[in-house]
Amino acid sequence: MIKANAVTKVVDTSEGSLQILRPISFEVKSGESVAIIGASGSGKSTLLGLLAGLDQVTEGEIFLDGEALHSMNEEERAILRGNKVGFIFQSFMLVQSLTALENVMLPAEIAGLDNPKALALDILEQVGLKHRAHHFPNQLSGGEQQRVAIARAFITSPKILFADEPTGNLDAKNSEKIEALLFEMNREKGTTLVLVTHDNELAEHCDRQLTMNAGKLIETTGANTMNKKEAV
Amino acid sequence: MSTSFNLAWRLFKHEARRGELTIILLAIVLSVAAVLSLSLFSERLQGALKSRSAAFIAADAQLRSDDPINEEWLARAQEEGLRTAKQVATRSMVFKGDDMSLVDLRAVNDAYPLKGTVNITDQPFGEKRNTAELPQSGEAWVQSRLFQSLGLSIGDSIEIGDGTFTVTHVLVDIPDAGFSVFNTDPIALINLDDLEKTAITGPGSRARYVGFFAGAVGDLESFNTWLLPQLNDDLHLWRTVEDDESAIGRSVASAERYFLLASLLAIVLAAVSIAVAAQRYAQRHFDPVAIMKTLGATSSTIRKVYLFQIIFITGLGIFIGLVIGFIGQQVVVSLVADRVDVSLDVWHWRPLLIAVATGATCALLFSLYPLLQLFSVPPLRVLRKDISANLRSRSIQFVASGGAIFLLMWMYSRDLKISAILFVSGAALVLGLLGATYILIAVGRKLGSGRMGAWQLAWARIKRRAMDNSVQLISFSVTIMLLLVVLVMRNDMVSQWRSQLPEGTPNYFLINITPDIQPELDRHFADNGVKIEEFYPVIRGRFVSVNGEGVNTEVSKEDEPNREGRRGLGREANLTWSNTLQKENEVIDGNWHGDEDKQYSEGWFPVSVEEGVAERLNIKMGDRLAFNVGSEIVETKVTSIRTVNWQTMQPNFFFVIHPEAMAAFSPTYITSFYLPTERKAELTNLLKPFASITMFDVDARINQLREIVDQVSVAVEFILVLVLLAGSLVLIAQVQASMDERRQEIAILRTLGAKGALIRKSVIFEFVIIGVVAGFMAAMANELSLYLLQTSVFQMEASLHPEYWAIAPSVGAIVVGMLGAFGCWRLLTLNTGQMLRNMV
Repeated sequence: MIKANAVTKVVDTSEGSLQILRPISFEVKSGESVAIIGASGSGKSTLLGLLAGLDQVTEGEIFLDGEALHSMNEEERAILRGNKVGFIFQSFMLVQSLTALENVMLPAEIAGLDNPKALALDILEQVGLKHRAHHFPNQLSGGEQQRVAIARAFITSPKILFADEPTGNLDAKNSEKIEALLFEMNREKGTTLVLVTHDNELAEHCDRQLTMNAGKLIETTGANTMNKKEAV
Repeated sequence: MSTSFNLAWRLFKHEARRGELTIILLAIVLSVAAVLSLSLFSERLQGALKSRSAAFIAADAQLRSDDPINEEWLARAQEEGLRTAKQVATRSMVFKGDDMSLVDLRAVNDAYPLKGTVNITDQPFGEKRNTAELPQSGEAWVQSRLFQSLGLSIGDSIEIGDGTFTVTHVLVDIPDAGFSVFNTDPIALINLDDLEKTAITGPGSRARYVGFFAGAVGDLESFNTWLLPQLNDDLHLWRTVEDDESAIGRSVASAERYFLLASLLAIVLAAVSIAVAAQRYAQRHFDPVAIMKTLGATSSTIRKVYLFQIIFITGLGIFIGLVIGFIGQQVVVSLVADRVDVSLDVWHWRPLLIAVATGATCALLFSLYPLLQLFSVPPLRVLRKDISANLRSRSIQFVASGGAIFLLMWMYSRDLKISAILFVSGAALVLGLLGATYILIAVGRKLGSGRMGAWQLAWARIKRRAMDNSVQLISFSVTIMLLLVVLVMRNDMVSQWRSQLPEGTPNYFLINITPDIQPELDRHFADNGVKIEEFYPVIRGRFVSVNGEGVNTEVSKEDEPNREGRRGLGREANLTWSNTLQKENEVIDGNWHGDEDKQYSEGWFPVSVEEGVAERLNIKMGDRLAFNVGSEIVETKVTSIRTVNWQTMQPNFFFVIHPEAMAAFSPTYITSFYLPTERKAELTNLLKPFASITMFDVDARINQLREIVDQVSVAVEFILVLVLLAGSLVLIAQVQASMDERRQEIAILRTLGAKGALIRKSVIFEFVIIGVVAGFMAAMANELSLYLLQTSVFQMEASLHPEYWAIAPSVGAIVVGMLGAFGCWRLLTLNTGQMLRNMV
């Protein structure tokens, strides 16, 4: 489903170029859930941005569901995201001036799906927030906002879901609920999941963990596997 | 399309309801309301003032002719929808028994006057009242002075030419009487049908035929276009209200320019506030754009969504602005209605179009750069909040906003000069301010060093936000400068108008004073508590040649000069002699002859000529002018050319000759005095002992002038208040916009435990510094703009206004500082946790 081939990212700073990602290669199979873990500044969010087509690689190739993301322009990547990708963010990233319902409808409308309102209400019901459909984000708690974000992520039935620290802004109780919901829906819809997290517990729920360190990828397979091998 | 439209509508609906569009909406509403109310009011006022001025020529336009007016032309005018009237004016002798007197005879048809009113009274020098009637056949209405000189009573018969008339009313004035100290003949008004029986307008008579026209501007213009090719310059003169160069005409013209200026400045203010608001609006939408892009929205979808949004906002803003502007204007008109004669019935489309165009152009062009910034926000912002718009070049911003302002100014004023002046000085200000900001920041590095306190925090912020601050500084300065320009122009202009007619301006003139009664007159008036002004000797002289060439009567015929105060130049000119230059006269070429102590034995004497008449008669320095005085020829040589302020109500002269030339002649004197209107009844008693003296009453005229100046001043003050209000709102919007940016920093400082007082002080210091610099820069730019405006547009003397160099920075510091304090106080009342959450 996702194939990264010698992906690098270099940014220009006032003090010269800075290599954020060293050549990284890996694959994620369809329906697989993968956690990218690592310390702050290790490059995991940068990698997520590249995999999701939010940013462009400096060198290397990324294929998303067989499509060459690395050779697409921003417009083409946007269309691809709209059709195949869902997102969940640490800071929820809801449009503050739209209601919960409208936020959930947003990707469906952009993708041109029929009857987005019915779809949105349906999925809001699944996350247990139908009764809050007409509330604005600032009228919802953090946990509720993230449930809206999950509903928004799944409304277009994306093939791949990217989640950036989905529980990072939540307390333990809410984290658990969100975690459960996320994995449940992921399972139900058969979505490929790539999530970035600090939270080992959350990472352990995934099929596989990719550990980042100083721009390099160290793959770990299984929850507590010590069998590390440096990726090329 | 429908997705973008729906999304835009949804965003618009919610954001409007949640108050997120308040600032940008307010800016558009303000601009539309200010422009509509200003221009609608000024258009109505101009209409009112024009019709007041129209009363002075008894029509919207006059055609004067030495021959009878072609009846076909009048018929054509009526076909074009104009109203017409006719008058024949001539000087004629009036007899009552053996007594006779020269009168200014006006024979008018029943339609006269088209504008203004005829005023009559029941007894000579009595209280006037207006009448819609005109003398019937066989009747004559004559002015008080004729009653005095012929000893007339109501009901007496007088003879004019071959006709006999019964005097039925005392005429006070007619609208187009004209005004001249030397136009000494009282007016006699008769019916045009009676003119024939007087037989005084035969060949060789010097009658002036006048056709009056009134109607809509368009009809008048189209008639004029048709008529113009048929006119003969030697015979005809077309005159409209706009040609009126009298004090009233000039006051109205400069008031019009002021309204125009104020409206232009209102447009600029509105544009500045929209620019600030649009920037803020765009910044607040960085996140939604990044989210939508992440969720798959293409650039074209984003563009459509936000263009629709801007169109919705602009549409709503324009609508509310029009409603508020219209109501505001109606309220003000009804408030000033008793002082300014403005009709509410007339509706003008142009202000409406201008207001809509201003709102739309400002909103769209000033949003262009912020929108382009918004469109360029990368989707990666959803992961990294520090990534913002990806648009480097600001040149499009300068081109779009500068172009929009200039376009609007030009479109509105249809005056390239006034637009260019304001635009260039505005651009100079912006460049100057950019430089000043950087200097300020460099200086601030030194001033702001040391242990971190409120003062240091303020400087640190100014330093760090150099670009933001320079933009803010520029908008503050431009706002303050525009307010200063409007304020100072108003003060200068109104005081100039008022100084033309100060309290105690002579309102009566006395002429035909012989040298023997002059001392007695002086004493008699002094005994009655009336101060007589200076006595000027006057002698009638026929102007015969320039450098030996006879003077063409065309250029010197009796009624040729139409300007107020210039009548009297004719075959006969009123000559005076003096060694002292009169008040408000200025020699612009040559030397004043009074300055030279010299005997003239070459057979010629120095003469000083008024600039305008010199130009018309093509008289140059050193030309020899000959006058026939009595039976002798007086030879003169032009040794100086003067400008004369015709606005002063004092006797003014075209020719002032060296006294030596006139030693042999016996003059009469002319003088003037001031008598308060309420003491008018004393006039008869004052003049009783001096039957030979003729009095000329300009009291009504002065009161009328003053009334108009007062009305215009009230209107100007209203406009000043409107612009001040608009400017203040712009300042508030600017401070509010910048408060958003400070929110984050205040939240962090609070979290770190900074006391409210420290934060408040540091924000106040920051705004005070910005206010002082903005005020100072505004005062400087104000001087530049005023210099250009006064010299090039308002034809006033340029003046410096050093008091504002201190006032503007102080007021800037106080107002901007207070606004900053208020905005900051609001932020400090918010819960820190809440602020931090909102930042996420």
